[in-house]
Amino acid sequence: MAGPLLSIRDLKVEFATRNGPVTALDGISLDLMPGETLGVVGESGCGKSITALAAMGLIPDPPGRVAGGSILFDGEDITHADAARLRSLRGTEISMIFQEPMTSLNPVFTAGDQIAEAIMLHQKAGRAEAGRMAVELLRTVGIPEPERRARSYPHELSGGMRQRVMIAMAISCRPRVLIADEPTTALDVTVQAQIFDLMRDIQQEFGVAIMLISHDMGAIAEMADQVAVMYAGRVVETGSADAILDDPLHPYTRALIGCIPVLGKAAGLEGRMPPLAEIPGIVPPLHLLGRGCAFADRCPLAFDRCRAERPVLEGRPHRVACFAAEMEAA
Amino acid sequence: MTDGALLDVQGLSVRFAMPRRSPFGERLHLEAVRDVSFSLRPGRTLGLVGESGSGKTTTAMAAIRLKPAHAGAVLFEGIDLLGLDAEEMRQRRRHLQVIFQDPYSSLNPRQRVGAIVREPLDLMVADEPASRRDDRVRELFGLVGLRLDQMALFPHQFSGGQRQRISIARALATRPRLIVCDEPVSALDVAIQAQILNLLRRLQESHGLSYLFISHDLGVVQFICDDIAVMYLGQIVEHADRPALFSRPRHPYTAALLAAAPSLARRKSAGYVREAVVRGDPPSPVNIPHGCAFASRCPHTQPRCREERPLLRADAGGAVACHYPLG
Amino acid sequence: MSLVQPAAAPEAISPLREAWIVYRRNRPAMFGTLLLAVIVAFVLYGTFLYAGDPYEIVWAPQTPPGTEASVPLGTDYLGRDMLRGLLKGGGPTLSVGAAAAIITLLIGVSLGGIAGYFGGWLDDLLMRVTEFFQVLPALLFAMVVITLFSPSPITTAIAIGVVLWPQTARLTRAEFLKIRELEYVTAARSIGARNGRIMWRVILPNALPPLIVSATLTVGVAVLFQAGLSFLGLDDPNTMSWGLMIGTNRQYVLDAWWPVTLPGVAIFLTVFAVSLVGDGLNDAFNPKLRER
Repeated sequence: MAGPLLSIRDLKVEFATRNGPVTALDGISLDLMPGETLGVVGESGCGKSITALAAMGLIPDPPGRVAGGSILFDGEDITHADAARLRSLRGTEISMIFQEPMTSLNPVFTAGDQIAEAIMLHQKAGRAEAGRMAVELLRTVGIPEPERRARSYPHELSGGMRQRVMIAMAISCRPRVLIADEPTTALDVTVQAQIFDLMRDIQQEFGVAIMLISHDMGAIAEMADQVAVMYAGRVVETGSADAILDDPLHPYTRALIGCIPVLGKAAGLEGRMPPLAEIPGIVPPLHLLGRGCAFADRCPLAFDRCRAERPVLEGRPHRVACFAAEMEAA
Repeated sequence: MTDGALLDVQGLSVRFAMPRRSPFGERLHLEAVRDVSFSLRPGRTLGLVGESGSGKTTTAMAAIRLKPAHAGAVLFEGIDLLGLDAEEMRQRRRHLQVIFQDPYSSLNPRQRVGAIVREPLDLMVADEPASRRDDRVRELFGLVGLRLDQMALFPHQFSGGQRQRISIARALATRPRLIVCDEPVSALDVAIQAQILNLLRRLQESHGLSYLFISHDLGVVQFICDDIAVMYLGQIVEHADRPALFSRPRHPYTAALLAAAPSLARRKSAGYVREAVVRGDPPSPVNIPHGCAFASRCPHTQPRCREERPLLRADAGGAVACHYPLG
Repeated sequence: MSLVQPAAAPEAISPLREAWIVYRRNRPAMFGTLLLAVIVAFVLYGTFLYAGDPYEIVWAPQTPPGTEASVPLGTDYLGRDMLRGLLKGGGPTLSVGAAAAIITLLIGVSLGGIAGYFGGWLDDLLMRVTEFFQVLPALLFAMVVITLFSPSPITTAIAIGVVLWPQTARLTRAEFLKIRELEYVTAARSIGARNGRIMWRVILPNALPPLIVSATLTVGVAVLFQAGLSFLGLDDPNTMSWGLMIGTNRQYVLDAWWPVTLPGVAIFLTVFAVSLVGDGLNDAFNPKLRER
């Protein structure tokens, strides 16, 4: 079996705030295998977007800072790579698509020009050739009339088309890793479904490995091979999508799945639906986390050890960081 | 006219004037809501479902006169709200309240949250003694699960879910009969979303409230709504009760929404491939197609669909606007 | 997604108080505040410590500063005491500046607020009026206003206010246009608030930060404007002001620098202090800068 393409090891990221340094990522480890999709799921503030930025070498410094651990791309440690190396990695080996396609595109250039620009930055191509390649890419991402759309400005495109343009830019240099940070959150469900289909097609065609950051378990179920569940800057559970969804071990994962009003379950039944499962309280502020498990205060299974000692990921291939789950398994 | 309806909306239309192209040019209008009718019975929840631009929020806001309507009638307890003068309407607002979508912009950042919850009482039931109003504010804080010592804080000191609780307390203050919930949980994380949805349902049962619930999320709608109206480009395309809509969607657009909605059962590992996904984006509401608005994206389009606009007509307990409804 | 969620502080910090905490940390702004306080203190209390008629000829004309103990800052071309002039002239200068800023704010906020809130034809009409005032040559227009009425500090303040309000009106309109679309304004209407309450109790407090900043800067502009009018001899010659001192001594600037320079420095320091305060307020009210 080939090794992981992108491997994050014990990564620790700190941010300087008025309340002193805050640990936004507290020793997280993730592996992205070639050609697979890794879903990173969690609520806002859990650190999933910072994980994506860290993998791209885009942590804003200051106030952010990689305080420990490493990021390996294809075996090369890029944690402290210089700016030139990171620039050449971004765009050629790793690219990223963002949540809001309107603000990620430059409003004063046409879609075609922006894709061509990205091509010329990393490949030996003249303007005319890059332009032709841009039109081809627009065709690849399923934009109708790509010749005409290449001359459109971002505001003339719908949200779904802008996200397709972003994907065209991201795959223009055939990257091996695509990091997608909530790529469909700003889109309507029917358009969201189209974008997911497109991402799957692209993965099959180009064999790109995708790291999909999402708060939406449904999206993760549909897209991911492997899943990592994050909570308060830590990975609490990781495993195959089926293992996480069908047999969640961490109480947080269980609660997160339980509180989603999913379609299908009893939708056709008469009468009222039963109440949703709730997780009491809110995610604790990162600077107030104690020594123990970050979820202990909200956890129905928490006992003394959970508050005193921090659980680490155990098990293989389905890994969980929870003392209660450990006891259950034993 | 529906008997016993709390809110009966008839032929509601909303249009927005577009800027003129030239000083002598014809003024174009954006038809945001076109001839929409529905009714809401007391104690029930009617969901208005649709994607962005479908006119679902505009419909609800026009119905309670927070946006101007172009045509139609809105009977609330038998009285046409659109026919009232400004002061009469203002008096009636204590019976119809709103919970807004964005917990970050729906609370005045310069008011303490205690004052925010108290304000509707001061404005609309000022004849009650001040001490009664104070008691009511304390009672409301308890109802929505906030602590009394938080009354002196400002909105920015709360999380999104807590702010939405404040918004709910404000809406409940004057003991309204109808609450318009405009995507009240779409800005919240799933865990918080579940807390708020359960709270809304508990409050409905304890207070006998009726909700007009706007959402794009079919999972949420399925949880909280009794009846559902699906909107597309300013019109209702299907109207049915929850069991019927989710088990036997009649309009191809409803079916497409259901097929596109995320679900935990669709797995990549099981080789899930979506069938018949709707193509492209909705047409522009400035230039509405001649025939069925959904014809350009529908997987079952026939020539008739492009020429003749289908009307919403009763069909097996619900209503559907389609020439060729599904099975 | 925000990077770091700030913790909900246990005690109630109002947005104004939070702005003050940020402001207090801003060194240039605190320096400006201190400087302004010193200037105002001198102007308010200086005449008690160093009394005397600034028009009285007390010593030889054009005595340089520091050469004669009884006139520490020297004398002007007529032999009048410079220090008396600076202390006595500061009051009208500062109060005309402040009054002009208040007039600007009153006219600008009411017209801009009404235009921005109601929109439609009322907005069109009020904005045309605003543009009309804006395209008039400011100095010329102020001169006309002053010559129509008799020159006095009040006339000067009104003339400056009438010339400067359009900017404030446009700013207020833009803020009202932006804020009236926010959900808490719709929420206020839905709980039965009338237009007046929404405009002045809901929108205005939220529009205040840029208006406060603009008003401070207007004080600086008004002080300069008034100096210009005095310099042209359009101000009341019987009310001592820094501008008047510059104006009357300007012909002799080549013989003696101090009668023009000292009031000039006073004006410079005042405007400098006011704009430091204005910048500080701008930063303090700008939530994007606050998270540092």
